[in-house]
Amino acid sequence: MTDILNLVFRTFASHAELRDSPPPPVPRSSALLLGENSVSRSVLLLAAVTAASHPGLRVVFFTRTLIRSLPASLQKLVPSPESLKKIQFCYPRTVEELLQQVAALHESPSTSPPSLIIVDGLEGFLFGSRGGSHRELHPGGQSCAAHLSALLCDTAAFLTRVLEQRSSSSGPCRIIASFQSEVDAGQASREPSASDPILDILDRYFQVRCTLDPDGGYEAAAAGLQQVWHVYLSGRGVTEASRSKDGGDGPAVAREWKLWIFPNGLMEFKVV
Amino acid sequence: MSSLLPAVAEQLFRDIQRTYRDTSHIPDDLLIALKFVFGPCALQALDLVDQRSVTCLSSPSGRKAFQVIGASGRLYTCFVSCHYCPCPAFAYTVLRRNEGLLCKHILAAYLCQAMGVTQQESVSDQQMSLLLSGTAAP
Repeated sequence: MTDILNLVFRTFASHAELRDSPPPPVPRSSALLLGENSVSRSVLLLAAVTAASHPGLRVVFFTRTLIRSLPASLQKLVPSPESLKKIQFCYPRTVEELLQQVAALHESPSTSPPSLIIVDGLEGFLFGSRGGSHRELHPGGQSCAAHLSALLCDTAAFLTRVLEQRSSSSGPCRIIASFQSEVDAGQASREPSASDPILDILDRYFQVRCTLDPDGGYEAAAAGLQQVWHVYLSGRGVTEASRSKDGGDGPAVAREWKLWIFPNGLMEFKVV
Repeated sequence: MSSLLPAVAEQLFRDIQRTYRDTSHIPDDLLIALKFVFGPCALQALDLVDQRSVTCLSSPSGRKAFQVIGASGRLYTCFVSCHYCPCPAFAYTVLRRNEGLLCKHILAAYLCQAMGVTQQESVSDQQMSLLLSGTAAP
């Protein structure tokens, strides 16, 4: 979901004027975070807390790994206990459990439906404990990835209708998921034409791709102990957002950001 | 490739819906267009439509799904807002080979909706969850 991601980037931006400027309008989209899962996870947690700090917004966060602490950057945002309670953390162990839990989200009409569904580490669910440097794509792998993605999209579409029927300002319901591609994991041997068959499937269902690439530029080398990441938004959802702005050439939505991660864990975003 | 219909396919279904509502018949030019856009699965989908194989399931929460009886008698659960089918043809022709937009089951669901011949059935919220997650007993 581009607007939550843009809100996260602006909230944790290094310049005060950027933080206060209004974000550009973007369409409802589902977003896939692509990159190393430790960095993606931190961005997902920032997104969860940013969303939960808005009144009326509930978040469901699916992950296989227990969350022991929140990113250091959240000291800036200081989430209140009430807003943290609006994030429901779920720990399905397998892709089957994840499918069941997502499928069951429609079952509780009395509680407010979530406005943000986050899935951390799709590769962990899809490849299970076989994940790592060599993943075997079993025959059902693509179909399973499609089933999970389609279920997430269909669930978001249904919950959006429920939220809109309740005339709440908490709609629409959006999805953000993270995925670490096998192609990324082995960068030294990466062929330019290599494509990840699972990523091809995910691209069908997620309109926006947010890629987190380690920055190999001079600035990064000079940054010393800080990690520098290049963040860029792409995909159908971003192209349509640019096209829907009246007049003018060039993207209206900020598509490129730099992310600094300091040794103490603080994260800062800056528009490129 | 997207998991949603391209504009030409959406227009085709609108044309079929309008014509069928007026004449209870799909004219040859629309059938030819169907075959052109969707390829070999168009005829197979029309067979499924003739057999009234598509049911729209609803649960008390308002959640809906399509259930299609395949040629072999197997039940396939498809989503209402994006494309996915658990059948082998979808996994191979659509996902792996990227050679088709849909499988015959999803196409049959679109056609039945356009023609107003979808069966209706109610299920419980829990049954709906089992069907959507693919963990319901076949």
